[in-house]
Amino acid sequence: MKRLTGNSTLKPSAEAIHDAPLPETPEENELARREAAVRIKLFQRRSLRGIWQLTLFLGVSLAAQQGASHLPSFPPSMMQLLGAPPSPKMISGLLVLYSFSALILILGKMTTGSGGFSGFSHVGYLTVFYAFYQVSHALEENFYAVLAAGITILSLESYHVWIWHQERIRKEKQYIIRLDRMREWKRGG
Amino acid sequence: MGMSLSVRAIVPVTITVTGFVVVCCLLLYQAIKQDMIQDTVSHETALAQTVVRSARYAMLKSDRETVQNIVATVGAQHDVEQVRIFNKRGVIMFSSHSGEISRQVDRNSEGCVGCHAGATPLAAMGSMQQARRYRNERGESVLAITAPIYNEPECFTAPCHVHPPTQKVLGTLDIGLSQKTLLATLSSLRSRMALFSLMILFLTVAGVSAILRRSLFLPVERLNSYALQLAAGHGETEPPELSDELESICRTLQELSEAGKEHNGKSPRS
Repeated sequence: MKRLTGNSTLKPSAEAIHDAPLPETPEENELARREAAVRIKLFQRRSLRGIWQLTLFLGVSLAAQQGASHLPSFPPSMMQLLGAPPSPKMISGLLVLYSFSALILILGKMTTGSGGFSGFSHVGYLTVFYAFYQVSHALEENFYAVLAAGITILSLESYHVWIWHQERIRKEKQYIIRLDRMREWKRGG
Repeated sequence: MGMSLSVRAIVPVTITVTGFVVVCCLLLYQAIKQDMIQDTVSHETALAQTVVRSARYAMLKSDRETVQNIVATVGAQHDVEQVRIFNKRGVIMFSSHSGEISRQVDRNSEGCVGCHAGATPLAAMGSMQQARRYRNERGESVLAITAPIYNEPECFTAPCHVHPPTQKVLGTLDIGLSQKTLLATLSSLRSRMALFSLMILFLTVAGVSAILRRSLFLPVERLNSYALQLAAGHGETEPPELSDELESICRTLQELSEAGKEHNGKSPRS
């Protein structure tokens, strides 16, 4: 059985290890136990990724709210180069579409039990919405809509990340219990 | 860290529905608000045109008393905060508030700077660009627009007071409407939307909870108590009435329990 060595090869897909036969020798058992403990710590750390995303987004939102009226507008030459900004109604339509798609994708991942997380990309998309509203001079009116969309998407994502990792931690703990039983049985035998 | 099945099922539904409804309501409210403000500006522009057209003949005849009378009458209307006409130098010639007649207006003030920002004043602006908002001395919000009074052939050919044909704008009409009614309507719209969102949230969460409880949680609870009965050695317990999938689990449990009993019966240690 291939053993994991070091953090670089630690991956959440530990199912292969759990499904494989339990290690026979006490040394292998101890090693597998230590690796499972490392994986638990890793999952515990990763389960908080959603919270970090949400915190970062709240920081961006605070900056957007404070800076909306203080940010300098682009110089006319730059504005000419960029062209006319999209209308606030178009940005709002896109925000609804984006929120709907993001929520459906996260719910889909929850349904299938897949652990593919979008990382910090949602924070990036939401920041772009703040930027577009700012360029269209409609950030003040639509700030709370972007904030509500962000909180909803990132809360659901955080919940999914947390539940998914808790599930993995539970499996790792069960694996450790199986290893302990095996060790006891070997000692007794 | 254990969470019950019901909490696991209801939390994502609550977050999704609440969040999405709130986002849609906020965006819808902003869209309606913008449309209503645009309607008010259109109404004000039409009112300004009405005042200018009503006063046109009196201005051609240089009948200042009639112009002042028209301005005062329109200004006395409900929700009309102020009506005034400036000349090209920014001096108030006619006003619904007689105290401000002959007063000079600052070119850098909010209503003037839109056209007078550059070296050459603009002669035309869109209706939304003409609009501005401010608070009056009573703290009420006022939406005002400034409409230019253009030079026409009759103006520069009139015998009484001739304007040069090169002069594009003769003066400006400034009209302001109180936003009290508009704000009251928006406030009522906000309350209705909040109520609507709460009702949707309540109905969704209650509906999902009811369906899950009826079709999943109660049967699982019955299956669990049946499994506990079997584990306690009460093999004669009647299996509960469940859906096909759960009934299959019930049968498997029953078979396992019977097999266990048989095995225990044959075992020399029993």
